[in-house]
Amino acid sequence: MKQASFKRFTIFFDQYLFISITLLSVMGLFFLYSASQGNINIVMKQAIFVGFGIFLMFILSQPDPDIYKILSLIFLVTSLLLVLITILFAKEINGAKRWLDLGVFTLQPSELVKIALPIYLASYLFEKPIPIDIRNTFKSLLIIGICFFLIARQPDLGTSLVVSMAGIYILFFAGLSWKFIGSSVLVFLISLPFLWNNFLQPFQQQRILTSLDPSADPFGSGWNITQSKIAIGSGGISGKGFEAGSQSHLDFLPETETDFIFAVIAEEFGFIGVCILLSVYMFILLRCMYLAFNARDRFCRLTIGGLSLVFASTLFINLAMVTGLIPVVGMPLPFISKGGSSLLSFYIAFGIIISMASHKKLMQR
Amino acid sequence: MIGIEDRFIEKRIFKSRLILIYIFFGILFSAFIYRTYNLQVYSYSSYELASIKNKTRSLLVQPKRGIIYDRNGNILINNVPSYDLIIQPAQIENISNYLDRLNEVILIDDGEREYVLERFENRSIYNRELAVKRSLSNEEIARFEVRGYLFPEAIIDKRYRRESEYPHLFSHVLGFVGGADNENMSDILNTQGKALGETLFTYANGYLIGKTGIENTYDDSLRGFFGERIFEVDAKGKLLKEIDFIEPKDGFDTFTSLDLEAQKVAFEAMAGRKGAVVVVEIETGAIITYLSSPTFSINQISNGISSANFEKLISDKDKPFFDRVSQGRYSPASAIKPAIGLYGLENKIINWDYTIDDPGFFVLPEDQRIYRGWKKGGHGTINLESALIESSNTFFFSLAYQSEINDLIDHLSNFGFGKNICADCFNPGKGLLPSPQWKMNNLNFGWFKGDSVNLGVGQGYLSATPAQLAFYSAFIGNKGSLEKLSLINNSIDKDILVLQASNITNEDWDRIHKSMIGVIENPKGTAKRLKNLKSYNIAAKSGTVELVSLDSKEDYEIVREDILKRDHGIMIAFAPMPNPKYAISVVIENAESGGSVAGPVAVKVLNSLIKE
Repeated sequence: MKQASFKRFTIFFDQYLFISITLLSVMGLFFLYSASQGNINIVMKQAIFVGFGIFLMFILSQPDPDIYKILSLIFLVTSLLLVLITILFAKEINGAKRWLDLGVFTLQPSELVKIALPIYLASYLFEKPIPIDIRNTFKSLLIIGICFFLIARQPDLGTSLVVSMAGIYILFFAGLSWKFIGSSVLVFLISLPFLWNNFLQPFQQQRILTSLDPSADPFGSGWNITQSKIAIGSGGISGKGFEAGSQSHLDFLPETETDFIFAVIAEEFGFIGVCILLSVYMFILLRCMYLAFNARDRFCRLTIGGLSLVFASTLFINLAMVTGLIPVVGMPLPFISKGGSSLLSFYIAFGIIISMASHKKLMQR
Repeated sequence: MIGIEDRFIEKRIFKSRLILIYIFFGILFSAFIYRTYNLQVYSYSSYELASIKNKTRSLLVQPKRGIIYDRNGNILINNVPSYDLIIQPAQIENISNYLDRLNEVILIDDGEREYVLERFENRSIYNRELAVKRSLSNEEIARFEVRGYLFPEAIIDKRYRRESEYPHLFSHVLGFVGGADNENMSDILNTQGKALGETLFTYANGYLIGKTGIENTYDDSLRGFFGERIFEVDAKGKLLKEIDFIEPKDGFDTFTSLDLEAQKVAFEAMAGRKGAVVVVEIETGAIITYLSSPTFSINQISNGISSANFEKLISDKDKPFFDRVSQGRYSPASAIKPAIGLYGLENKIINWDYTIDDPGFFVLPEDQRIYRGWKKGGHGTINLESALIESSNTFFFSLAYQSEINDLIDHLSNFGFGKNICADCFNPGKGLLPSPQWKMNNLNFGWFKGDSVNLGVGQGYLSATPAQLAFYSAFIGNKGSLEKLSLINNSIDKDILVLQASNITNEDWDRIHKSMIGVIENPKGTAKRLKNLKSYNIAAKSGTVELVSLDSKEDYEIVREDILKRDHGIMIAFAPMPNPKYAISVVIENAESGGSVAGPVAVKVLNSLIKE
């Protein structure tokens, strides 16, 4: 944490997070160059997002966190309205309405909800008794439920699950009783067959079955995961070398620029490359834990905890999906996958985290 | 307001729960690292293989079949290159329209059109190429090169054809090749450690296997080994670049024992008549001439024949497709007489001084049935030598009558009758050596003495293939022993057949030979007309096969109105005497005479082989 004082104003800054995120972003541009088979247009566009994102992160780390507490409700309501507009008016792409065309840039509002919801819940619980009581638990769950169903309507099951997880993390940190957690899990498990039959689309069921046994249908729905495992496995210890991955460069691997970019990295840089990449992510997460422990108040604590876990969840869902541990769900590799909204949402999240980490209050409430 | 106490509790809850979740993520992290380690380090080799398999595709390259030579190094079957117009049926929807369009650039005649239409569907299913027009002229190639962009599904490329310069000479012995189905090809590839796959064909007709003749029996060594072209491919299967090329190994060239010149002479001497000519080298059992007449063009069949033409071939009443040498069955008739004579000598029923009086017929004591000779009035007093020279039936009727039938059959089987006597002929027949047992099983009748009498002159149930007759001839020429026949020199260890006899001396053999020389040289010989056709001595025995059993010459005059009921002519011979090198059998269907019709053919062929 730095509060570098210049003559007239102070810059709020966390060099550890700032450097590691910038490092990831720049590495990401190189990976993307290879994953897009040297498509300089894609890389330039991404570079603009990265530059803008880092700038945004810097700007958002300047104001006092209390502003976010005040603005959190407006932020959440605005995001949800955008989701609603998307559902009502947006053009359908691949059977889903997720994107708002803003001319220069297509926005995916659900990505914003992923950040707005934990911030709002943290501010909502700021003055409530802790551990959280039953009344507030249900109020919070209602808000989470609204977000979940709106996004699930798009339909976007992956994002809606991450959004609800983001909310539940906050409740968990606020001391959600174990009894409640235990009985919820029980109810969930019992209703699982019901959910399977009534809630999941056939293609979603198929994806889940495929992840359990991709070899059952290697050229159909198992194709992606089979090819991804071949890409990762054939990378070996030291990888095939930059731009030398045959799986990605000969089009065997799907979605190389977005969801499956990790497979490209693993193929070209091997186990060593994977370990280096993961250690940067681990560093960011451990730094967040440290910051959460030392946060100045409950709002900051809950927000840092919640946002960092949204980041961690996205990361692990992507990694587990690419290595075939869980079904294929559209989930990017943070700071590396091509894509505007999710990328920007993480810069926003870390801008807010840095703001909370670097503004100290002498007088604590 | 929240008190210090509460804040402390709250912080404690937060900390413990954050640590709990981080531990949870830590476990996930470890599981993930373990998973990646498993993929990248532990299972690396199998995934590396999978990745290589993904990005490479290997196309099989068809080898060329071996060349077939005669014994003097003349090429009998070769691979002839030509530039062909080739289409990919799998990429073409309406073949009829397509051919119309092609026709505007390169003229496609009705035969070619029919050929393509017959095969189109099959080739399309198996994604095989199809040659529309072969042996394009330079002008046609140039015309296509200008307009070729209109036909991305067609190319002009060099392809081979399996061709013989003498397509009609060796039809049955060399045989023809034909397309293999996927199952056949898969089996062959299996033996070479390869699996059925996309193949770059060297022959215009795709993969060829030997269907008949030497092409079939020696297919294993003629076929060669497939090579591979290995390409890098993308996920869509598009070939990007060639990474490796394993050259195919062409099939082994095959050196046969056949003699081009002798075959030509035999072919011309037969002049399309139905029958067969077989020449054997006595010392080795090697087949020098193998002609079944009439013949057909192996080039036509090997390289694609329209079904109409094929239909015409197989329905031809002269049966050109039928391999008379190995499959034809003819009674040996009088040609059997030397073997019967040897039976009499071996069993001491007769000796060289033994004579009988031949009145021109033999009366079977049991039922007074009369068996006639060919000469009215008979041959007078005759011994074995004159009976062979003049071909007395009565002498051999009487001798066979005195035989013990099972001994006689054993004796005849020594000469190759009723046996496969060829080591590497395609589909060799055994003819029929009848026995009482056989007759009971097949005709439900006991053996009559009359059956034995008929056997004595090679008539009745006894039948042999021309190849067996040639073997028989060589066996006598070699004085009672001979290697099995074969078409390829020294390729196999061959059984040797030896006459099981204890009372036959070398002198007996010499006198048999002398008698057979007399068949031509003696003024009374049945083939005396051949005497001046050659400049060396030939030992021979003629035979005339009666197709209809008759009592008199007058009856035959009526029967011979029907050409197909006329007698077959047979000649067996070996020469030059006294040390014979070659033995021959000639069969001419409906020739009416062995000595005067089959005989000249035999002499012409022997003349071509024995040049002084």
